[in-house]
Amino acid sequence: MAYFMVVLLDDNRFAKIKGTELEEKVQYMFGGELRCLNVEVSEEMKDKILQEFDTARIDSRGAITDVPVAFLRELFNQVAEKKSLGSEVIEAVLAKSSEIKELAAKESEYLPAPEI
Amino acid sequence: MSSLIIERPLPHGGRLVERVVRDKEAAKKMIKGCPTYDIKPTLHYETGVPVRNVYREIMSICYGFFSPVEGSMKQAEVERILKERRLLNEWIFPYPLVFDISKEDYKKLGVGSGDRLVLNLKGKPFAILDIEEVWEIDNPEELAHKTFGTPEDNPEVVRERFNKKHPGWVIYRSLNPIVLAGKYTIINEPKMRPPFDRFWFPPRKCREEFDKRGWRTVINHQTRNVPHVGHEFLMKNAAYTGDVEPCHGILVNAIIGVKRRGDYPDEAIVEGHEAVNLGGYIKPERHLPTICLWDMRYGNPLESLLHGIIRQNMGCTHHMFGRDHAAVGEYYDKWSTQILWTKGIPSFGFPKPPTDVPYGLSIRPQNMREFSYCPTCKEMAYSETCGHKREKLSGSFLRGMVAEGVQPPAIIMRPEVYKAIVKWWKHFNYPFCNEKYVINKEKELEVDLEDL
Repeated sequence: MAYFMVVLLDDNRFAKIKGTELEEKVQYMFGGELRCLNVEVSEEMKDKILQEFDTARIDSRGAITDVPVAFLRELFNQVAEKKSLGSEVIEAVLAKSSEIKELAAKESEYLPAPEI
Repeated sequence: MSSLIIERPLPHGGRLVERVVRDKEAAKKMIKGCPTYDIKPTLHYETGVPVRNVYREIMSICYGFFSPVEGSMKQAEVERILKERRLLNEWIFPYPLVFDISKEDYKKLGVGSGDRLVLNLKGKPFAILDIEEVWEIDNPEELAHKTFGTPEDNPEVVRERFNKKHPGWVIYRSLNPIVLAGKYTIINEPKMRPPFDRFWFPPRKCREEFDKRGWRTVINHQTRNVPHVGHEFLMKNAAYTGDVEPCHGILVNAIIGVKRRGDYPDEAIVEGHEAVNLGGYIKPERHLPTICLWDMRYGNPLESLLHGIIRQNMGCTHHMFGRDHAAVGEYYDKWSTQILWTKGIPSFGFPKPPTDVPYGLSIRPQNMREFSYCPTCKEMAYSETCGHKREKLSGSFLRGMVAEGVQPPAIIMRPEVYKAIVKWWKHFNYPFCNEKYVINKEKELEVDLEDL
């Protein structure tokens, strides 16, 4: 199975990759209601993610989900910095595992609810 | 009347088990002079985190969800279940259910066969256990492996050896060594806490509710999640099964118990399902969200067998089963449940499906594949019908979206359902179950008790 991680793009994030090669790789999902990028994840990296982050799961599409929000934010930062969706992006995120875990420890206590 | 008409099935075992004493004076007499024991949660054998509370099993047994089981199982019964998935009275049943205590507590209690033990919950008398046998679990790890199967012994469906990452395996691995076996009776009926109270339909009440609503055929939807639109379409379309007309009702039965970190809180799950009918996506007259107390074992085909038993006892004629039913990780083949219900799994004691073996079930399985969004059809489409490339819906993907603060588009999650999530997010300051939620939940439980 091929594994991947989804990076959601709101307007703010989209602005940061606009005009780069990544713009062509943006996918529109659910009738154009959602914009996203898919980052590829190797078997080895998938195992590392599952080992490092115990909430992580693999869903029916082969997507790795349920990682801390801090992980997802760093994932976008690396995508935007490296202008890539390749395996080096995940490697760079995992290199910051300790930092992410520190942030995740705080976010496991509190996440601000949206006002709706 | 057409000969094709399907009637509501009898409870599993032929009659509903109901072991609840409602006369307080009678209850007081029943417990006079008996030793008492405060029910304790089962703690993870390594981390000490609560992984199960036997009170939920006592509730589900005494209100008849698990009919014909009447109590904590004797050693011979557990051994038969592990070998053939049958009770000593022949009826099929998937899991050992035991009242386990530590050796220290056993010594302190000084009870034995023939004694009546009063079980306290939250400091109040709750139930009695009439002890018929005391036995010892020699090797909880072996019990855990035998409960779920191994790739060697159950090659048809078990793909990986179970380990401590599997929450159900951990429950059996964490059991205390001494088992007090015998029948339970609730002697002080607990009150369900809101919001669970309005979803509490034990089998007798549920069957009466079906009668009131004129539901002869009812299909069950198992859940441990807030519903996305894929679930909604699964329910709507599976309900077209029936006999000479579609099923009259859709019963949603949420399993309420110890949660995994990252799951939605139980409160959001039940109100999320309710939001589907309050929003009119499925008419309330046709849709009934309910609960059953049980600490999920995530046993995929075995769990589906328990689900079949629970929902037949509740009066359902049909039960929908999907991919990775009640599963976690990749321990089982993702279609194990459907294999069980269409062909059987001989190594688990089912040379034929559970509906085709003696002392089996009468509820009809409705094995479903998946609904996902088709950008060509511009609608939710069934995987076996639509010929286009579709976009799969996944609960985990949605959780990620919610966590990032992105409201899912209405095509994949109804805004009313999202509102239910946010309501409980504000209440708990967190959208999912975290350690604080799990610890508090196991302190507060889903019930309160009055003095007897």
